[in-house]
Amino acid sequence: MKYILMMNTMKAGHGVPSWPKKDLQAHIAFMIGLNKELHERGELVSAEGLSFPDQAKLVHAGKDGRPVTDGVFAESKEFLAGFWIIDVDNPQRAYEIAAKASAAPGPGGVPLNMPIEVRQVMSGPPPEML
Amino acid sequence: MKYILLMSGTKAGVEGYHAWPKQDIEAHMAVLHRINQDLTDSGEFVATQGLAEPKEAKVVRGEKNGLPVTDGIFPESKEFLLGYWIVEVPNAERAYAIAGRISAASVNMPIEVRQFATHEAKSR
Repeated sequence: MKYILMMNTMKAGHGVPSWPKKDLQAHIAFMIGLNKELHERGELVSAEGLSFPDQAKLVHAGKDGRPVTDGVFAESKEFLAGFWIIDVDNPQRAYEIAAKASAAPGPGGVPLNMPIEVRQVMSGPPPEML
Repeated sequence: MKYILLMSGTKAGVEGYHAWPKQDIEAHMAVLHRINQDLTDSGEFVATQGLAEPKEAKVVRGEKNGLPVTDGIFPESKEFLLGYWIVEVPNAERAYAIAGRISAASVNMPIEVRQFATHEAKSR
């Protein structure tokens, strides 16, 4: 079963966090270690980090089909900071991995315990839609 | 440059979609398949996925003992990721053009376009 774990932790307008450099490095080292562990277990499908929300654009099609871009977002909007796609035996294992990612170290090495949204990835559209 | 195009919607929006006439859903899916095929042909396609229903979504936090704590209660206004496309394109404008096409195939719904963090950005 494939799951996506989403870190929706960023807010509109934010750039690089203003943590001390060593705390940022510890956080990134933790993430690299987690990815390595998931890869070794054969559970990692992909993992990516996204650029910061100040670069995000919202696009919709105008009447002529051309893209209309907008970079203004509600203050309350949650932005995807990064995600993992994993292939695991059951949802419990997906939740375990999410908890591990949630506890990534923040400033001063304190676990962030940030919320991670866990969703199953479908192999195709539901049969009733085909 | 890799971009992710994110299609999001609320639970109410998803229910509205399920209520579309079958032929409209089929036409919508056919255009999305066509877009995927065009991106494959142009060598810009990296990946696409649809996600399971928002009602299946859980939010997980690590507790002090490291055990996962799951919660499935979300505000009605929450926008859930419905699906995404990852494309590799020469510039942002091309990513916006693809997003515009997906939007036009999907009742002009807004598509969030985000660049992947580069290695330099990750190592800062």
